[in-house]
Amino acid sequence: MERLRSIEELKALQARLQTDRDPSIPTIVISAGTCGQASGANDLIRVTKRELLNKGLTDRIRLRITGCHGFCEAEPSVLIEPRGTFYPRVGVQEMAQIVEAVAQDQVLKDLLFVDPATGKAVERQGDISFFKAQVRTILARNEKVDPIRVYNYIENGGYSALVRALETGDSKWVVEEVKASGLRGRGGAGFPTGLKWEFLAAQRNGRGKFLVCNADEGDPGAYMDRSVLEGNPHSIIEGMLIGGYATGANEGVVYVRNEYPLAIKHLMIALRQCHELGLLGQDILGTGFSFDIRLVRGAGAFVCGEETALIRSIEGKMGEPRQRPPFPVQKGIEGKPTAINNVESWANIPVIITEGAREFAKVGTKGNTGTKIFSLVGKVRNTGLVEVPMGITIEKVVTDIGGGPSGKAKIKAVQTGGPSGGCIPAERFDLPIDYDSLTEAGSIMGSGGMIVMDENTCMVDVAKYFMNFLKDESCGKCYTCRKGIQRMHEILEDVSNGKGTLDQLDVLEELAVVVQDTTMCGLGQTASNPVLSTLRYFRREYFEHVEKHRCPAGVCKELVTYSINENCTGCAACVRVCPEKAIAGEKKKRHVIDTSECIKCGACKTVCKFDAIDVA
Amino acid sequence: MKADEILSIVDKHEGDRGGLISIFEDIQAKYSYLPAEALKVVADATGRSPVDLYAVATFYKSFSLKPRGKHLCSVCMGTACHVRGAPVIGGEFARQLKVTPGETTPDKEFTLETVNCLGACALGPIVVVDGHYFSKVDSARVKQIIKKTRDGLDEAEIKADRRVYLLTVSCSRCNHSLMDPDHPIDGSPSIRVTASSGREHGWIRLSSLYGSFTVESEFGIRTDTIVDFFCPHCHAELKGASACPLCRAPMISMIVRAGGIVQICSRRGCKGHMLDLNGSGF
Repeated sequence: MERLRSIEELKALQARLQTDRDPSIPTIVISAGTCGQASGANDLIRVTKRELLNKGLTDRIRLRITGCHGFCEAEPSVLIEPRGTFYPRVGVQEMAQIVEAVAQDQVLKDLLFVDPATGKAVERQGDISFFKAQVRTILARNEKVDPIRVYNYIENGGYSALVRALETGDSKWVVEEVKASGLRGRGGAGFPTGLKWEFLAAQRNGRGKFLVCNADEGDPGAYMDRSVLEGNPHSIIEGMLIGGYATGANEGVVYVRNEYPLAIKHLMIALRQCHELGLLGQDILGTGFSFDIRLVRGAGAFVCGEETALIRSIEGKMGEPRQRPPFPVQKGIEGKPTAINNVESWANIPVIITEGAREFAKVGTKGNTGTKIFSLVGKVRNTGLVEVPMGITIEKVVTDIGGGPSGKAKIKAVQTGGPSGGCIPAERFDLPIDYDSLTEAGSIMGSGGMIVMDENTCMVDVAKYFMNFLKDESCGKCYTCRKGIQRMHEILEDVSNGKGTLDQLDVLEELAVVVQDTTMCGLGQTASNPVLSTLRYFRREYFEHVEKHRCPAGVCKELVTYSINENCTGCAACVRVCPEKAIAGEKKKRHVIDTSECIKCGACKTVCKFDAIDVA
Repeated sequence: MKADEILSIVDKHEGDRGGLISIFEDIQAKYSYLPAEALKVVADATGRSPVDLYAVATFYKSFSLKPRGKHLCSVCMGTACHVRGAPVIGGEFARQLKVTPGETTPDKEFTLETVNCLGACALGPIVVVDGHYFSKVDSARVKQIIKKTRDGLDEAEIKADRRVYLLTVSCSRCNHSLMDPDHPIDGSPSIRVTASSGREHGWIRLSSLYGSFTVESEFGIRTDTIVDFFCPHCHAELKGASACPLCRAPMISMIVRAGGIVQICSRRGCKGHMLDLNGSGF
């Protein structure tokens, strides 16, 4: 790799890469993010290479290994360009057939995606309902680039936005453009990014300034940042370079959580390539602009997503938040002015600069521009990452893109915003997804987790789950957060065990408000949302637990019993898996569970093919 | 544990201010936990008080002050996994291994832990054992996962023959074949090249099966040493274009006869490799 000494050299390299590319050569694109690899994408890659080598097809078919394409439910998936053929859940056996079919420009109809609604096979990715209703500005780039090859990124127009910004020679123009785009922080709070940059640019201290990419995606159930970092790390680097130029910052830090090994690996490779190419370091592209980025790994602390805690963690200290003001933009890492933006915000910057603020602002609604990526997971048919314009209704996301419930049970709520968010009931699915509407409904946008819950999900259990999570993750600095959350968890534990009282529910509600009002950082201030929103919308379920000692969803272990109904064929599958040997019965006759022995582990229910295990 | 090993880790991160977390991560990667003696060495070397180090080591969840087992089972407790039954999976692991999360089995084989979210929410419930992902786990599969781990997770992958295949390679400068049919490894012709490390110099034979890491050499090469590789015919160094994606050591490159290049890491013991059928590797 040769160092690029000027903007012209980068443009020449880009032009050369684009001329060398022959778009008519078919390309097999294998999605191999963490989800893909967990579903067997690595095996597909190896088999594809084997087939291409053995059949002498290396000149006729290209292979591209990319990050996640978003349709996790269909992993491991294979996309054939330029036709756009999409093969879901490909097995090792089928991969060899696919290579053969691509060589002959054929489509394997039996392996195509079948739309569950119509029962018809759909060939092209763009025609599948999951993809059709999305606006995939950021995610579509994942399938175009191999994340470990910088040339691939440059060939696809990468670093052109940086060039555009540098060529204007006007850092103020860049800040104005980001302001005009209306981009709001994608980490959840929704602070206008351009405004933050303007504050940072106005800081004068002569000792240097920092930019941080917050990739400490701690919200359970959210993984869009992982997917962008894994699939397109150069877009983050380019965004930060533009930010550095715009604000006069000279150092960048990407803070990634340690639970994302593949994202860390890809980012390390990307950073090294940028150093070799001269896109990071001193005198970038001969323009006199200098900026460097280093990677800092987190070590498993949810609170480090809070910006002041994150700063302390970068400094190698305990990640305890501190009082604001002074805001990080005044005093951040090592006391220097620091602006912190989320991964997705950074990924949007090159888009804004390339397309222009006006074009960007056309998507979405007023005050909530652009797209937002959500991780649509839980009890929904099409789980995966979905990118939609801001202001779309929850209904559209869950039904049109998500394809409705995954099982027979009806969807009753979505949970957004992770432990800081709340549950929104199905009656309110007409709510537009934007920062303000979600807050009004008692939840928050958050980083974009959207967990779908159906009638088999117990809302008391959900609230208990989040309180359990937060009591472990509270740093302990504020008394009300440390003790208040712990106490809320204890009350919820009582309720789910059937020992709760109506008085306790009142205390719970009061406590939730106190915690909200008397804690310092975002973790404590929003910690009550799961409790308050479930009390607001699902109070009836709390009453069922307290008054009737019943868990309507059949989740709270202490309140349910397992039994076998008349569907039982006596196949004895449950007998074999029962760890306590609590199931007995003659062959081909209805079996019985000895409730005194049953530990309610659920093993029988998972193996039963006849829906014969009742939990009530 | 040797003090100089800890010191070299501290030295490595001396440049990055506030590198304490990175230092701990590297120590833990080496010893699977943070030994008390190691913390003392770090305290002396960095000038930070032991109390301060203890605070950081206990604040972050991924650090352990107790020795951990050979295999690390992480059961994801994220929301999406939770609603799909992760607590039952965690409970089943605890029952099977007879430990509670955070503990290590008495035979030091398994450490069980629960993690907040592994970010593979669509595939929940997720369990990761030694970096291997198991998706949509149900309680009946827990026993199998434990058994598979005991048998060796990597082992199982090599034996699945469809994914392991022969590569015929040649020198990227003189194009002379590097295959040595007279000295098979893994039942297939080996790849013979010349290696030099320090003062030693001699032949080294690599398995030509893509996916196998079997090596034989004329002289002993210690794990972690970076070796220079040469073509036995034209004596050119087989230097690759990029660095190893895993350990950053230089890669060595060879031409694949059927098309493309293969690059392997020059560090003994590192499994970093890239098989590139069409492209420069950038």
